[in-house]
Amino acid sequence: MNTSTSLPENIVETDGLTKRFGERLVVRDVELRVPRGVAFGYLGPNGAGKTTLIRMLLGLTAATSGEMRLLGLPVPARRAEALACVGAIVEEPRFHGHLTGRENLQIVAAARDADASSRIDASIERVGLTARAGDRVSTYSLGMRQRLGIARCLIADPELLILDEPMNGLDPAGIQEFRGFVRDFVAEGRTIVLSSHLLDEVEKTCDTIAIVDQGRIAVQGSIDELRGVDGEELTLGVDDPTRARALLAAERSVRSVSDNGHELRVALVDPAAAAHLNRRLIEAGIAVHRLEPSQATLEQRFLEITTRLENAA
Amino acid sequence: MSTLALSIPTPRLVSADLLKLGRRRGLVAVTGLLTVGAVVVTYAVMELLHVSNSAKHGPAGGITNLGHVAALVALLGAVAAAIVAATAAAGDLDALVYRDLVVTGRSRLALYLSRITAGLLFLLPFVAAAYALTAAAAVGFAASNPAPSASLLATTAAWAVLGVTFYYLLGFGLACLLGSRSYSIGVLLAFRLAVAPLIASISTLGVVRELVPVVGLQHLAPAALGDSVRMGPDVPISVAATAAVLVAWAGAALLLGARRDITRDA
Repeated sequence: MNTSTSLPENIVETDGLTKRFGERLVVRDVELRVPRGVAFGYLGPNGAGKTTLIRMLLGLTAATSGEMRLLGLPVPARRAEALACVGAIVEEPRFHGHLTGRENLQIVAAARDADASSRIDASIERVGLTARAGDRVSTYSLGMRQRLGIARCLIADPELLILDEPMNGLDPAGIQEFRGFVRDFVAEGRTIVLSSHLLDEVEKTCDTIAIVDQGRIAVQGSIDELRGVDGEELTLGVDDPTRARALLAAERSVRSVSDNGHELRVALVDPAAAAHLNRRLIEAGIAVHRLEPSQATLEQRFLEITTRLENAA
Repeated sequence: MSTLALSIPTPRLVSADLLKLGRRRGLVAVTGLLTVGAVVVTYAVMELLHVSNSAKHGPAGGITNLGHVAALVALLGAVAAAIVAATAAAGDLDALVYRDLVVTGRSRLALYLSRITAGLLFLLPFVAAAYALTAAAAVGFAASNPAPSASLLATTAAWAVLGVTFYYLLGFGLACLLGSRSYSIGVLLAFRLAVAPLIASISTLGVVRELVPVVGLQHLAPAALGDSVRMGPDVPISVAATAAVLVAWAGAALLLGARRDITRDA
């Protein structure tokens, strides 16, 4: 991997980063911290300013104010050094359709360091395009272009990959394959910043996320932290809900019990009480056919946060 | 590494830009037709006319016909230059891959200079080949006409290449400024083929006409070719003034194009 000399804790940092287009504030005072060696999801609805932030980080558009550091290097002051260790796909990957896949990579390799050309074949092989590398890109499917986009990133042997809405337009198989690439890259010690509005995909692919809306980061942290997985709720399926409800309500480790007609939702005082409650139900002759911790989904948290921001605006 | 060093395009970068142009079959075909093709067709027609009726049609070679065909090379070469320049300048933007080159960290000025160089390296061999055929035919088919001297052939070549290169640089800067292939080709062709000759022909404009590049370029044509290269009124203008006008036009276009390219949202 193309490694920068210093190894800061956060591979991407922004302070007070702001972008204004005329009167419109697109990115507002963003304080982003992307830890090294994770898949980081930059999650937000369409128009939240995700792509604009990425474009500023990559030097495609200038920031109105604020500071940015990539791999510990200030950008745009040391942009060339920083971007030498970065691979990126911004929006849909684009290529010269009249050139072959391999020729398109040669074009970008020529703009990178002298070793980049020697990585072309390995990059093509890694994304499974060896058989089609000699074909014109105009004949490629969207999925193949996405894979070629990944190969284009890999010729930089990047420490950091920035992928903007990489799963747009992919079929389920393509999405699964893409998720596999991301996890493999993280396992190799690379950091992935994945911008998306697809909650489900971010939840399945990333370790850490920032939720952004209306140009601001509302919250950032690990997926578990954000969805609040603390095991304080149980979902129970039993053969006698009425008796079970009465029994559980009498337990000190239970805060409350609700019944939606099919199953019971039990709020716990002590998260470790699940096994004890299960035993009590069985001892009372109540058959338990389902017992699982209830987790707030990232979707619930996301909607909660974005709705709150909308109401505050 | 210094900023200047980072701004100098590497041979690999220029080769890559040359590859982009060379793989465009349509561009190769059009450029070939406008340069080599035009010369071949012109001499073929002139020689056939001469062979079929030598009393009415003189030999295809000689100095006068050299002037006619050199003027054709300069004119159609300028058209080819506009097309090649627009493609070299705005091809990456049109294909939306410019941003992928910018995110490599390579200096935008280096990318700009590389594209200029690659476009010229693509275009000039066609012009050189067209002129080589012109020169060979001017001598080979001279028959009873006076054959051009080596020095006249050399100065005519330099004149034709100068004109084509000028319009290439002008077109390149314009295409970067506009960020569009089609618009820049249209604007440059309208300027070269209609607006500039029209301004040059309005005698009441006086010395203002000297600011039009076509006036200076025509005045720089080798005197030995006489009226054979003339495509409009001859406006007296010094070589120094011509050089200043050409440098100002091309320089302004390239500087504005570079500024736009370096500061644009990619």
